[in-house]
Amino acid sequence: MAAQALAVAASHDGYSAIAFPFFGAERRGAPVLAFTRFGQERLRVRTQVYEPHYVVVLDESLIDTVDVLAGLRPGGLVVVNTTRSPDRLVLSKKAKSATVDATSIALEYTKQAAVNTAMLGAFAKASGLITIEGVEAGIMEVFGRRLSKEIADRNVAAARAAYEATRLGEADSGRVYPKASKWLPTAQELPPGLATPTLETPFGRVGVGSSTSNRTGGWRVEKPILDDAKCTNCLLCWFYCPDSSIVRGPKIVEIHYDYCKGCGVCAAVCVPKAIHMEREVEEEVRA
Amino acid sequence: MTTVKDLPQEDYFLSGHTACPGCGGAMVVRETMKVLGANTVVYMPASCLLIFSDMYPYNAFKVPSLQVLFETSAICASGIKRALKRQGKDDVTVVAFAGDGGTADIGMQALSGAAERNEDILYVCYDNEAYMNTGIQRSGTTPFGAWTTTTPLGGTSEGRGKNEFKKDVPRILMAHDVPYVATASLGFPADFLRKLEKAKAKKGFRYLHVLAPCPVGWRAESDTTVDLAKLAVETGIFTLMECEDGVLTLNREPRFTPVREYLKLQGRFKHLKDDQIAAIETWVKEKWERDRALAKALGPKPKVPVAMTK
Amino acid sequence: MIEARTATAGERHMVTGDYAAAWGAMVSRPQVIAAYPITPQTMIIEHLAEFLAAGKLDAEMMRVESEHSAMSAVVAAEATGVRTYTATSSQGLALMHEPLFISPPMHLPIVMSVVNRTVASPLGIWVEHNDTMPQRDTGWMQVYVEDAQEALDMVLQAYRVAENPSVELPMMIGMDAFLVSHTIESVDLISQEAADKFLPPFKPVHAYLDPERPLVVGAAAPPEYIQEVRWETDLRMRRAAEFLEETDREFGRTFGRTYGGAFETYRLEDADAALMTLGTVTSTAREVVDRLRGQGERVGLIKLRSFRPFPADRLQDATAHLKAFGVYDRAVSYGVGGPSYIEARNALYDTTTMPILGFLAGLGGRDVTPQDVELMFKKTLGAVGRGRRASGVHWIGTRGVSP
Repeated sequence: MAAQALAVAASHDGYSAIAFPFFGAERRGAPVLAFTRFGQERLRVRTQVYEPHYVVVLDESLIDTVDVLAGLRPGGLVVVNTTRSPDRLVLSKKAKSATVDATSIALEYTKQAAVNTAMLGAFAKASGLITIEGVEAGIMEVFGRRLSKEIADRNVAAARAAYEATRLGEADSGRVYPKASKWLPTAQELPPGLATPTLETPFGRVGVGSSTSNRTGGWRVEKPILDDAKCTNCLLCWFYCPDSSIVRGPKIVEIHYDYCKGCGVCAAVCVPKAIHMEREVEEEVRA
Repeated sequence: MTTVKDLPQEDYFLSGHTACPGCGGAMVVRETMKVLGANTVVYMPASCLLIFSDMYPYNAFKVPSLQVLFETSAICASGIKRALKRQGKDDVTVVAFAGDGGTADIGMQALSGAAERNEDILYVCYDNEAYMNTGIQRSGTTPFGAWTTTTPLGGTSEGRGKNEFKKDVPRILMAHDVPYVATASLGFPADFLRKLEKAKAKKGFRYLHVLAPCPVGWRAESDTTVDLAKLAVETGIFTLMECEDGVLTLNREPRFTPVREYLKLQGRFKHLKDDQIAAIETWVKEKWERDRALAKALGPKPKVPVAMTK
Repeated sequence: MIEARTATAGERHMVTGDYAAAWGAMVSRPQVIAAYPITPQTMIIEHLAEFLAAGKLDAEMMRVESEHSAMSAVVAAEATGVRTYTATSSQGLALMHEPLFISPPMHLPIVMSVVNRTVASPLGIWVEHNDTMPQRDTGWMQVYVEDAQEALDMVLQAYRVAENPSVELPMMIGMDAFLVSHTIESVDLISQEAADKFLPPFKPVHAYLDPERPLVVGAAAPPEYIQEVRWETDLRMRRAAEFLEETDREFGRTFGRTYGGAFETYRLEDADAALMTLGTVTSTAREVVDRLRGQGERVGLIKLRSFRPFPADRLQDATAHLKAFGVYDRAVSYGVGGPSYIEARNALYDTTTMPILGFLAGLGGRDVTPQDVELMFKKTLGAVGRGRRASGVHWIGTRGVSP
């Protein structure tokens, strides 16, 4: 929806614009990809964007696994949601960068960790291509149509706050990513009929029981913290955790964070209140 | 093995699936698989479950799984079971996990057919009360008054949320006189586990209808899944029952917590006017009167001697 | 027609096409059968139920509540690793359309007899091929038979072709409503012993569901994988033509009868003009060819058996010497013509400039008489030497349109 709102904003500012998501199976909190194209002339190419002028990264943790600058054009700009300053980003190459703590802003203004509207404000500031008024029009058009005006208003406020808070700088190079990160066998190599047992590939496990290749911990905004002393080992958190992130120990449970999406169910069901949720701030990037 | 503590550490539905945070459906599947164990074949239709657990090349089950079509859960599970029986593997449990849309609406015909033939399968409906996979459209089990994207709000009588009450799928299944029909809620683990074990042990057609709150579709916080599942029962909105060979038992007399306590946690009910809430209150009261009467009236199903084959 | 309990395997009996198909299914030893009754397929499943009741057939028989479920049940059973069979007709096949798409990419070699019957509207129970033809792009092989014997023999052949590890595609066998399904004729009811020699027990190669050896079958897939699956399915359909020919030859060596593989030719060698038919009209057309030959007309016949895979290469060779070619269809693609006419023109585009005419007749079960077929030949002969401009679609025996 943010990509759509950006297209509306660009259109408001007099550009020709289109936007579309990568039609994946979006789940709340899961990494998604969306594209916006705008320019002075009528847009005809309807494909995904492979060589963007601008990249907007809504979740900083993606930088750990995805080369977000792959394809970025020379002189292009990356906008990242992070508490870090723009000069302290370490990416695959040097690039103009802008950062803003959109998560805090979103939580403050919309009471949710949905950072997309705040990042629109950041993009307007960083790129200088569209006005904050255009962003406002985009949000009202796209979000006001589907949600209530009150919610749209709050999102506009978040975008304005992010616009003000966005800082510009230059990201450093030095981060190395593996060349290919996906198992893409040829038509001849694919298991016939896609009937697939557990297979170990150079890109990790696929097939039966392979979901563990996908570490969903990066979706998390808040993380559960266990107070060992209070745990009575009632195992309700272990029973309910939809992501099997609680492990039974000899005396008390342990929380493993690789797959924890931070839903907070464990804290909610904990009878002795031994688990509480804490806002998670990305640790310093290990270059 | 009826308590949480006795469940195995081992999971057969693994992490790394892409269900939304706090997904009730994922909890239902994980718990069910813990009870069913390794000697199981899973069928899942096009559904949230398929998308979050079975997007090629990744898969979240440790056991074999099949997906064919949206409306074919009951028939495909039956086909698997018949083939396994032919191969001398009759000990394998075949389970179908389907959502409410795939069960109460588009899958009803195949479900009824499989129940009538008493196919030897376990059918688990994780009821999140709307088509969540396609983005929160109303289904036959969406409750009265609920906002969905196809029952949106507006100034007319068409703009007050869903105008019909929830379809009672377990009661439809009971009319098939199958060996086992039960409802369960994530809010009552002991009851849920007991019913899972009973369902696993029985032969013939077994149907388990589990209320699985969906924080995204219900417009609720992701940590309220279990509370909502509990409150749905305690308000009397969702009845815990089981029907074994025709004998209906109501498993829990609710506290009859005011329905507002349940509704207010969910954004999908935020718009409800007093008259709509009063309608829900009346519905709960009358439903319980009828359920109690049904439980009294429904005795064992006719015992007809069957000439055994083979 | 004879009763199951009195039929003796390996002997000639007067039976219907439905009985013959059921017999063919029985001696193929399917382990799971799922079906739903529809006129004129009903007798196939009734006879199978009789065979089961009499102890001659040992299978799981699922009397399901719809054709959609019949197809879905055999898909699931086949995916679990057993041989399966089903049969349907007309509206039933239309209802199966959705699950039909499942088995070809999944490598599930299901075999199904389809009694070709008109699809509403208007509702009718008589022969038309507008039930099977629209299933062209589902990935199912489809063949058409001419009589009861072929309806039986083709079931056995179908399993051999479908289960070939290089093919692993499902096959539907079209047999004309009433003209085959309910017509009594003398049929060699192949004995179980002989059938077993021709058709070995089913061994699933790739996909089967077993907790001892867990597999993911039928996952959802993103764009990174689906196109390769389509290519691979296309490849197997292309390969299938070869195995169809080979299997028919092998059948001939075992039983002394062959059907020509993907198509059979009749008095084609020195013909100037030829007609291509499929289904029961072929029998009538043989008569007409003989009569016209008697009158000195150099005409021949191609009996198209396999519509998918379509034998394009062989057809190019077989028609190279012709001066005009007519194609008969018992179904219409509205606004264009008959489906096999379209296929033939596509196949022959590279190799010929002769006129290729399309003929539509017998729709909704109307009888196609020798006079109708003769008219088709006459029109084709009349096009000789007139080039591609003489091509076109002709409705035969249509009041207000054509004689």
